[in-house]
Amino acid sequence: MSNMINFGIDLGTTNSLIAKFDKGHVEVFKNPSGSKESLPSVVGFRNDRILVGDQARTYALKDPKGVASRFKRKMGTTETIKLKVGSKTPVELSAFVIKELKNFIHTGEQIEAAVITIPASFDTVQSNATKESGLGAGIKYVHLLQEPIAASLAYANKEKGINLRNSQWMVYDLGGGTFDVALVKIIEGELTVVDHEGDNYLGGADFDELIVEKLIVPELCRRGKFTDLLAQMKSEKGKYNRHWYILLHHAEEAKIELTTRTSAEIDIADYPLEDEDGNSIDMLLTITRSEFEAIIKPAIDGTVEMMKRILTRNSLRPEDLKYVLMVGGSTYIPFVRKRVEEVMGLSVNTSIDPTNAIAVGAAYFAGTKEYKDASENSAAPNNNSRLRIRTSYNRNTQESEEVFTAKFEGDVSDLFYRIQSNDGSFDSGLKKLSPRISEDLPLREGAFNLFTFGVFDNHNNPVDVGFDSIQIAQGRYSVAGQMLPEDISLVVDDVANKDTRLRRIFAKNNVLPAKSKMTVEVAKTVVKNSDEDVIKIIVVEGPSERHSSTNKPIGILQITGQQINRDLIRGTEIDLTFDLTESRDLTISAYLNGTGQEFSQVYKGQKRYVDSRLLATEVIELEVKIQSEINDAANLGNFDSVQGLQNLLSNVQGLIMDSHVLAHDDVTDDRFKLEDKKRKIAQEVFELTASKRLDTAKNSYEEAKEEVGSLVSDNGNDREKHIFREIIAREQTFINSTNPERIEIATRELGQIRWSILVRMPDFLVGMFNHLVEKRTSMNDQVLAKQLIEAGRVHIGQQDWDDLKQVNSRLWDLMPSDISEADDMRLYTGIV
Amino acid sequence: MRLYYPSWLTSKKKEIVDMVHLPTFEVPKWAFTLLNNLYEVERKLATSGDPGNATRNVLKMKDALAEQGLFYEDPMGEVFKETRTDLEATITGTGTENLVVVEVIKPVIRFGEAAFSRVVQRGIVLVESKVDLKNN
Repeated sequence: MSNMINFGIDLGTTNSLIAKFDKGHVEVFKNPSGSKESLPSVVGFRNDRILVGDQARTYALKDPKGVASRFKRKMGTTETIKLKVGSKTPVELSAFVIKELKNFIHTGEQIEAAVITIPASFDTVQSNATKESGLGAGIKYVHLLQEPIAASLAYANKEKGINLRNSQWMVYDLGGGTFDVALVKIIEGELTVVDHEGDNYLGGADFDELIVEKLIVPELCRRGKFTDLLAQMKSEKGKYNRHWYILLHHAEEAKIELTTRTSAEIDIADYPLEDEDGNSIDMLLTITRSEFEAIIKPAIDGTVEMMKRILTRNSLRPEDLKYVLMVGGSTYIPFVRKRVEEVMGLSVNTSIDPTNAIAVGAAYFAGTKEYKDASENSAAPNNNSRLRIRTSYNRNTQESEEVFTAKFEGDVSDLFYRIQSNDGSFDSGLKKLSPRISEDLPLREGAFNLFTFGVFDNHNNPVDVGFDSIQIAQGRYSVAGQMLPEDISLVVDDVANKDTRLRRIFAKNNVLPAKSKMTVEVAKTVVKNSDEDVIKIIVVEGPSERHSSTNKPIGILQITGQQINRDLIRGTEIDLTFDLTESRDLTISAYLNGTGQEFSQVYKGQKRYVDSRLLATEVIELEVKIQSEINDAANLGNFDSVQGLQNLLSNVQGLIMDSHVLAHDDVTDDRFKLEDKKRKIAQEVFELTASKRLDTAKNSYEEAKEEVGSLVSDNGNDREKHIFREIIAREQTFINSTNPERIEIATRELGQIRWSILVRMPDFLVGMFNHLVEKRTSMNDQVLAKQLIEAGRVHIGQQDWDDLKQVNSRLWDLMPSDISEADDMRLYTGIV
Repeated sequence: MRLYYPSWLTSKKKEIVDMVHLPTFEVPKWAFTLLNNLYEVERKLATSGDPGNATRNVLKMKDALAEQGLFYEDPMGEVFKETRTDLEATITGTGTENLVVVEVIKPVIRFGEAAFSRVVQRGIVLVESKVDLKNN
């Protein structure tokens, strides 16, 4: 049976990548921890673990006996790298890198065959060694491809229309730590590397060091008194060793910034530096692009010299080349491109992503290359294992670390295990499997900690042991932790619907204790010293998608005009904090941004708070609501509902009488009974009218969908089309739900698209303008309105739609609509 | 007029959790820029004093981003081991055992909510051996 290879691996000196060709496209896989495409080609052996990538790189400088890097340069030699765990060959170390890259494949596919890239300078022995490391990593079929060819393929596949026949070009590859340049030619229809040059110790990391050494340190020495600042920075025992690393990071950022700007600031004010006299040094530095270019010029000129040598050797003139293809992250630097262009008199080609071009090119090649699947028993995970596992660990804990232990029965030789946290914060590395293993797992406080457990053979292929995940709930999820039985919500005014709605503070099943914050706005100005104007922060318990009257009140914090030290203007923000203890004590705190005052009150979980005056208002409001629902139901001919609602109406009317006679300071539990009755009636009303609200929500959604659909297809931009498609794609998740709010959210989203399209359309803008002109007599500032209207007419004449949009919005602001809206509504809580 | 928000920003909590589990989920670069700078502002206010109580505004901005599932954590002073993958560490000093975080250049940025979140930016830190720290 033959298959396409599809996988391409860029096995680099400093970084490696893996990509896959799939149906005409190439995906570069990302590291599951850290989300980067590249994996540092560094292997570490520490505390019986095998670490590959960033984790190993951390120790590369300080623990050379435990960590190996840059071993690609030794490929194909007899040299071994002596480490604490014994000697390792470059082939073995590269195999570890490839095995780790297999881990990037999130689709869970097994990789049977791959194209692995090699530098143009690799001879047969080095190439064979690379192939061997691929096989050693469990890849059954390895095809090699030269890096400059891979880069050229990435380019050819991107610019499909390009004709490269009878042409030749150079591939200039300047990466993080190595430089290579190659002459590529099409000979008899085949891409061939004709000649090459390179420097194994030149790359972006050297430029970062140059910035610190040549620009930053001299400047710091000008600002303060230091005798040997650079030496003190570079020495691991030096006084300023930390600053060396901090500056290197900032130098790298500045270097990146200088690719798009002419100057970059290095601001390390929060890492203070004192000179020898104890004076603190100003740590804000500016580096200009020309300063940076001056310090890297010798290195770049060196690379250009290598290009010239290739031309001379091959008796070519620069004009014989089609272009220079730029690859490697350091070719983002404008000076590199400019210098190559200037000195060589050649155009540089920067159309491919220089950081992943080689992996992408390798994958394109792999997508065209067939291989024969020799092994018949290559079925995905190895299920034939006779291993049996017994695990033991606490699923709930209060500790910040938990021990995971497992016992294995069966043959564990040549097997490894690995535990990784699903949130990307922990990786045990590969460890040798023994009949009994134990691992300390760090836990995140108050979270569900999920880990993936895997057993692997020596090719890093998974071995199925029937156990693959570890779940530990830390802290508040322990057995003792109490869960909230219902949502807890804040009641706010719903000005548009002249009603109230709920904003959820804590969700059902949230584990206590819990804390939450919310910012609300004052809906109507509260005048200092007035009794009338009150803000009510009402916290209720029950389903948050229902109406507040169906929820149980658990706490209310009132702020009156008497309590504030100045007027609280409409629109002022109030910061609310809600604290719920394990015993369900609720603390509501409100910080008034307008007056700078803070109010706070604690409500004991065992007690209930029912304000008798508020209860009386609620009962009356409920009566009004039932009346209007009866009318609606009658109009729709829904007589069953009318009957039910009428029964509820008579019940609620009884409650009005009862609540009316209830004294404000009533000490009996009558008000609790009344509140219970009211709530039950409200719930029944909610249930009786649920289908009506659902139908209304569905109808308005369908109407909006139809209207917005045609608007989007005629006038929408790509972004709007995308959002519209996205809403339609998840339609099934809300349209069949029993919760009208979810449908309403989608309708509102459609409304946003509708609005964003309309405000671009001249007809709409003109129509809106004319409408506002008609209303001008009621506007607040007649002089300004007149000026704006005149300006608007000029804009229409000149078809200047952007300016007309501005005029419309300013005219809109002059409309007194806000005041009338607020007057129409009897605000219930005073907050929105 | 309403502003346009990318669809991932308007998502509700449940969708946030769903996204956390998507291996291909990507946080836009501007969000990292915003959070990293917010972290720096917060730290500068802490070290240089904050007479105008700007920390309050920083906290509100952090809350607003956390509501959309994005938040950062300062690993300063935490223990570093080779099994930690939420930090990109550089070792200063001579020792390589008993390491603790001594400088934070970039914080850890996570996406999700309290009960489950994913590291979307590794913290960039300097670590040093406790032994070296004691000798200094």
